[in-house]
Amino acid sequence: MRVSLITASLLAGVLAGCAGQPVETAGMPPAEPVATPPAEPAAPSGLHIESEYYTLPNGLKVVMSRDPTVPTATVGVYYGIGFRIEPRNRTGFAHLFEHLMFQGSAHAPKGQFDKIIYSAGGINNGSTRFDFTNYYEVVPSNALESVLWLEADRMRMPVIDQTVLANQQGVVANEVKVNVINQPYGGWPWLDMPQVANENWYNAHNFYGDLADLQAAKVEDSKEFFNSFYRPNNAVLVVAGDIDYAATRAMIDRLFATVPAGSPVQLPNIAEPRQTQEKFKIKPDPLAPRPAFSVAWHVPERNTPEWFAMGVLDQILVQGQDSRLYDKLVRETGIAGGVQGGINIGLGNMYNYNGPMLWTVGFIHDPSKTREQIQAALDSVIEDVRTRPVSADELARARTKIRSNLYNLADPSTRFGLIDLLAVGALWENDPNWVNRLEAGFDAVTPELLLATAREYLRPTNRSILLVQPGAPGAPAAKSGASR
Amino acid sequence: MIRRALAAAFAAALATLALLAPAAPTAAQDAFPAQPAIGTPKPFAVPASESYRLPNGMQVTLIPYGKVPKATVSLRIYAGALNEGENSWLSTFTGQMLREGAAGRSAADIAEAAAGMGGNLGIGSDEHETTLGLSVLAANAGDAVRLVGEVAQRPDFPASELDRIRQNLLRALAVAKSQPQPAADAALAAAYYGTAHPYGRPYATEAQITGYSLDDVRGFYQQNFGARRARLYVAGQFDRDAIKTIIEQVYGGWAAGPERLRLPPQPQPGPKVLLVNRPGASQSTVRLAFPAPAAGDASDIPFRVTNALLGGSFTSRITTNIREDKGYTYSPGSGIGHNPGQAMWTFDADVTTDVTGAALKEVFGEIRRLQNEAPPQDEAAGIQSWLAGTFILQNASPGGLIGSLATRDFHGLPANWLESYVPSVLAVRAPDIQQLTRETLPLDKMTLVVVGDLAKVERQLKALPELRNVRFRRVTPF
Repeated sequence: MRVSLITASLLAGVLAGCAGQPVETAGMPPAEPVATPPAEPAAPSGLHIESEYYTLPNGLKVVMSRDPTVPTATVGVYYGIGFRIEPRNRTGFAHLFEHLMFQGSAHAPKGQFDKIIYSAGGINNGSTRFDFTNYYEVVPSNALESVLWLEADRMRMPVIDQTVLANQQGVVANEVKVNVINQPYGGWPWLDMPQVANENWYNAHNFYGDLADLQAAKVEDSKEFFNSFYRPNNAVLVVAGDIDYAATRAMIDRLFATVPAGSPVQLPNIAEPRQTQEKFKIKPDPLAPRPAFSVAWHVPERNTPEWFAMGVLDQILVQGQDSRLYDKLVRETGIAGGVQGGINIGLGNMYNYNGPMLWTVGFIHDPSKTREQIQAALDSVIEDVRTRPVSADELARARTKIRSNLYNLADPSTRFGLIDLLAVGALWENDPNWVNRLEAGFDAVTPELLLATAREYLRPTNRSILLVQPGAPGAPAAKSGASR
Repeated sequence: MIRRALAAAFAAALATLALLAPAAPTAAQDAFPAQPAIGTPKPFAVPASESYRLPNGMQVTLIPYGKVPKATVSLRIYAGALNEGENSWLSTFTGQMLREGAAGRSAADIAEAAAGMGGNLGIGSDEHETTLGLSVLAANAGDAVRLVGEVAQRPDFPASELDRIRQNLLRALAVAKSQPQPAADAALAAAYYGTAHPYGRPYATEAQITGYSLDDVRGFYQQNFGARRARLYVAGQFDRDAIKTIIEQVYGGWAAGPERLRLPPQPQPGPKVLLVNRPGASQSTVRLAFPAPAAGDASDIPFRVTNALLGGSFTSRITTNIREDKGYTYSPGSGIGHNPGQAMWTFDADVTTDVTGAALKEVFGEIRRLQNEAPPQDEAAGIQSWLAGTFILQNASPGGLIGSLATRDFHGLPANWLESYVPSVLAVRAPDIQQLTRETLPLDKMTLVVVGDLAKVERQLKALPELRNVRFRRVTPF
């Protein structure tokens, strides 16, 4: 729920394609008006999200996207700081800080933020991801200006003292317990796999945070973190829905133009070296009743042709019951009852990150299935896509699935998925129209490119295998051949 | 969180919102503007829908909606745990077998067909229904209606897949049994409904799953699937005449089958305290339950407002207290589960082990405070506005609209129930909330479940005055 590392919402859907963790589900994104083709159920003609875009003198990027289908307005503030980047002795701090941003600001004492939004008929939440932290609200459109006022106030001056810090340290510790510590498969594979597959500390630490690190956080840490990363020149404001462009711009200028800019943001080097040797790890899990298998590969750099090809491979290999891994691991061999997989699994989707990333596949299985059997089944699927071209039909089906998912963005419910794509386009491409070019990127993928991408990126030497072994640490391996 | 889809025309008199206007400007000595006024919300009308019945009794509801070229199809059949008799999870087993082949097509063919439309066929079973559905590109709406019809009416139940599905269910059961939340839910269900009723047995045993045969699956299907128990919902973009023709072709020949089964439970009154030991657990998983007004009762909507104010929203009293003030928990919340003719209110939370007693003390205290004193008018108005506003969010997507209408139909609520929802919410008065809290949540009739490290938790519970005279029962929920 609310204010989570991943996402979550009080109603149904939010963004992330959560998979691993037993918490909430992913949702249905939202929407735009102009998003779509004519009513005619004709051949799909492509997604177009209309928007207006400008930057305030203090560096705040602003995206507005109008869709009056439903009389609500959605607001998102995205800061360009995620959980990869936090002080080394303060794991989990980026997420803890996200919680602290809800604890009151100069003109809205603790509790007011939620009270005002809820009492107006809206909902709000926040989440911390690899490369951004977002705060988002949807309200009846008459309350838009109040939401902007609240966001501007906390961008200027959140009030963070020892009382609220101690309170949220308790809340976050409980969040970690309910999602990880007191759960079988807690943190698998979404929190665990990056720690296995990555070399660079920024990509390979515990993003939820060590409980001791969380407890050690100080009020001063918050001030420094805020001043370093939570400035308008490191942020995007998105407003979508039932809005008037000129009136909304006037509100934004009035409320945000005076927020002082900070120094240019310095981000550390988060690059990962090219992996050249398979990695392997066993995670003992005293709560888990069955073993689990997971494997991850580093994916191509974002926005490259190979990255789009990887998105298509993801569809072909693991998304949906028509996928090859589902067919092999579920229907053909009965190794698993289902397969979860994806790029940025459990913590987002293939669009909303900006740096090294993994494509991960995971499933729970019976101990009667040995690692060798599982590996053989998996390899047969992966090697096939590395050596034989994908048929035109299968490629078309993958594109249809992608298109159908993108159209969900135009659904005018909460619009949280829509503002997510607009925000990351502005944040990293300086262009919210990036979303409108995604389909073309997938359409340009050829069977040859799929083959080349699979050959390089689905190499055995580019993968990391993580097994969950039931039982206490140091217990004898179960029958599942967790040897090596 | 009310699990139900709600409804209503948001239009209605939100005069209450005036209360939310500019908070008194705080000690702002700077140039930052005062909080802007929040005006009156614009009207939101529930999109129109059309419902009719085929001659064989199947209900059809069409909801043309939205500018997005997609369509959502959902077929709901009154065949769930309620219909299983003693055979827990047989409806789930049957539902899972449906996708393994139909009308001579293999499971892989079915999955590829769905994917080619831009969708993924989802099949689920709960206490009351088996649901088949998918969301596809609009051009494929008719094909989606056909695919769902084929799988629901002409399943092949291939023997070759039976044992694999069985192993999947055994694995899923093992995982559920290792998690604290299912343990709490199972213990609560057994104590509250009694194990003689299917509601009281939400989990099967290994022996049951191991024992089911193909004949059991076929038998469950034949005895429970049919047109009279089915409702088909189509929402989004589609050609209305064309879809009606297809529906008639695909479903018109479906045998009527049996009537919907009515099997009301006999909830067992509290007070009861059920403890489940989970040695070493860092948190206690808590369930607190009481009977609640049924959907459509006179006090149904007032109690939904009560719930939202007490524990069902982020700004509720319990959440504000034990999360935002005390930091005892991350995701506390209360909600109302509506079954036909009856309902149950539950408060759920996972609280740090050492403060289990302290957290419950606060929860009891908040219930008592609301029993003793009507909430301030502005607090009640804020919660009412919240329910009215979130009604729009729940009904602004095809899937959400289907959920709302299907819920209305499930409970046999009036056709205009969605349209009347918001006005009903806004008509609730603060004294109603106090009164309903008294009537519905008498602490001496509670059913309480705690799953946790009992060596640390039990004495904390013993110290609570509300539990002093209640016998603690240790149970094994599975």
